[in-house]
Amino acid sequence: MKALGRWLAEHGITIGSPLALLVVWEWASATGLLRAVFFPRPSTIGAHLRDLALDGTLWAHTATTLTRIGWSFTLAAVLGVVIGLAMGLWRRLREGLDPVFAVIYPIPSVLFLPLVNFLVPAGEIALVVTTAVTSFFLIAFTTTHGVRQIDRLVVEAALHYGARGWRLFAAVLLPGALPFIFTGLRLGLGFCLIVVVAVEIVSASQGLGALLWLSWQVLKVEDMYATFFVIALLGALLSYGLAALRARLVPWVPDVGAR
Amino acid sequence: MPTRDPKVLVNEVSVTFESHGRSVMALDRISLQAQAGEFLCIVGPSGSGKSTLLRVLAGLLRQSAGEVHIQADHPGTPLTAMVFQEHALLPWRTVRDNITFGLENRGVGRAEREARAREMLVMVGLARFAQHYPHQLSGGMKQRVGIARALASDPEVLLMDEPLAALDAQTRTIMQEELLRIWAGLGKTVVYVTHSLEEALLLGDRVALLTARPGRVREIYPVDLGRPRGLEVRGSPAYGALLEKIWSRLREEVVRAIEDDRGPDPEKLGA
Amino acid sequence: MAVVVPAAVLVLWEICARLAIISPRYFPAPTTVGWVLADRFAAGDLGTELLVTLTRLAFAFALAAVPAIPLGLLMGIARPVRNFVEPYLAFIFPVPKITLLPFLMIILGVGEPAFVLTGASSAFFQIVISTLAGVQTMDPRLLDVGRNYGAHGPRLFWKVILPATLPAIFTGLRLGLGLALVTLVAVEFIAAKSGLGHLVFRHWQMLSTPEMYAAFALVGALGLVLTRGLRALQARVLTWQEDIGV
Repeated sequence: MKALGRWLAEHGITIGSPLALLVVWEWASATGLLRAVFFPRPSTIGAHLRDLALDGTLWAHTATTLTRIGWSFTLAAVLGVVIGLAMGLWRRLREGLDPVFAVIYPIPSVLFLPLVNFLVPAGEIALVVTTAVTSFFLIAFTTTHGVRQIDRLVVEAALHYGARGWRLFAAVLLPGALPFIFTGLRLGLGFCLIVVVAVEIVSASQGLGALLWLSWQVLKVEDMYATFFVIALLGALLSYGLAALRARLVPWVPDVGAR
Repeated sequence: MPTRDPKVLVNEVSVTFESHGRSVMALDRISLQAQAGEFLCIVGPSGSGKSTLLRVLAGLLRQSAGEVHIQADHPGTPLTAMVFQEHALLPWRTVRDNITFGLENRGVGRAEREARAREMLVMVGLARFAQHYPHQLSGGMKQRVGIARALASDPEVLLMDEPLAALDAQTRTIMQEELLRIWAGLGKTVVYVTHSLEEALLLGDRVALLTARPGRVREIYPVDLGRPRGLEVRGSPAYGALLEKIWSRLREEVVRAIEDDRGPDPEKLGA
Repeated sequence: MAVVVPAAVLVLWEICARLAIISPRYFPAPTTVGWVLADRFAAGDLGTELLVTLTRLAFAFALAAVPAIPLGLLMGIARPVRNFVEPYLAFIFPVPKITLLPFLMIILGVGEPAFVLTGASSAFFQIVISTLAGVQTMDPRLLDVGRNYGAHGPRLFWKVILPATLPAIFTGLRLGLGLALVTLVAVEFIAAKSGLGHLVFRHWQMLSTPEMYAAFALVGALGLVLTRGLRALQARVLTWQEDIGV
């Protein structure tokens, strides 16, 4: 009982505050204190969410978005890790690619849409490739950093105890870089979500981003909120889900710490 | 007078480093040897190149001149295995997998690796920690894993680079005792670098004193304190006499090294 | 190497475009882009758009930083505050901030306030999180030293906690600025009628590709200057911090 009490005291505010907010919001919106046009009642939003889910629109759009995230992330992850590792291991390569990365990385991914459209026919492929670009750079960059930050002494000890070539890579360099690679993948996945949604806003007719934008254009505010909620849920799942996975796969790092 | 070929032969070895466009000579024509089964300690001030010498023996560094030869009496086993000062364990491997790392790289089979690991774990007193990760261990425990790793490798010569330097005084004393016990049982040839003259006299059969940079062999002292040896030897008069004799020489080198660091006295320059 | 590779890429591009190996319509030669860049700058309109984007960025950054730093600090120092704010942070953080744009446009109309606030939101969360992390990862012994030498309450804050957190705050500001820029340009691309992002969009639609690439290059250059510049500034100002890292 005491443990429950303590847990409540610790987490009470954390849970209670948003709940309280929802209640206040509901009340304020219903009584007209908040304009329902801007801030519809949570209950109404909930109803719209349910409707969207029931008639299948929500799933269709969510599935589209998820598929795009899946493809772009896979593309970005595979290329990112491979090239990141290569850059970590070969200084020449790193020095050569560094400036390219530095210039491209700060550019918002949506801006690549025109470029990609020139190269690849408009449509799903263009969308996936555009999304993969920034994610790729992020993953490659963290992977490279992961390789470079391995303690030189540890590598030396490994060499001394007979690790060479492939063994050195598989038993030392790869595990050594793994925590960073994982962080890069987690961030990269988050980025994929962000860019997919952004690109959907710009140029797609399917997907959660498109749904959001379309709802805005016809001023169906409740649908906007409902879609936002789903996107947030997706974001949380991807972000925190991967974090939990990391604890499992990288057990030798004492404290994860990072966001 | 050596009666047979030495296990470890260092002949006129010099090591020069290039740093920021300048050459620094770390070792200057070092010559020494160790017999099979001998515990050779190397002491000297900071910068005398003790660790450098060890790295040359380990094959981690190429000497600029001279030759190094380690007698390989058992083909199939590595020439050397080193215990690093900062343990240098692989953080992503368990204690057991760290111990068998060298064996894995040589292609030793799983069954034999497990047996060897078990043996080592018992020997260094870490049997209960086989599945732990390095970050869960204390400094002393990590160092014991480092020692186990080196021993598991079954090298011709064991190299130890100030293995106890990073430990607190109490743990250090306990570990010295452990080392004496383990070594007595195994009879390996050991080359042991340390800052502590007390430790060198406690552990070694002979002590080689290096000069301040560039390191040369100033003198090699035999340590006739009997075997088997325990911590109580530190109270014996022979120990005290040796300590005093060697320390006065070592002190000169240490002072010289400090003055080298400090540079010429600005006041004296003016005069 | 750092210079050779990009230069080689540009030269290759130039040749391919001139020889029509790649379509010069879609991939104009770098020299063409360069001329357009200089031309438009001289004419003044490129400069104007750049200024528009920069102004929005400045506002967004200020709007984000001013509340974010105190909030982060407060959350780090007072547990109840952290418990209160954390759920909202955790909820919004993984959400693409661009999705806030339509909501802001409904409430504030389609215009500068909505654009700037969307950009600010990206920076805001980053700065709060970095600042909070700075307080949390502070060496606790510094607090002991402070208290032992007579610093309590406000003095402890100003003389110990704040300086100790400064590197993390600075890093957060740096990252936040980058994020704000990215989000702002994306907002301009999608919804605005001015600014560099919009320029890219407009010229894309009109297929005036040299102008499009010019604007594109400008965005890249801006991002580069800001990130590198701030990193250098951080190293200069916070001389006691050993490693800036990312």
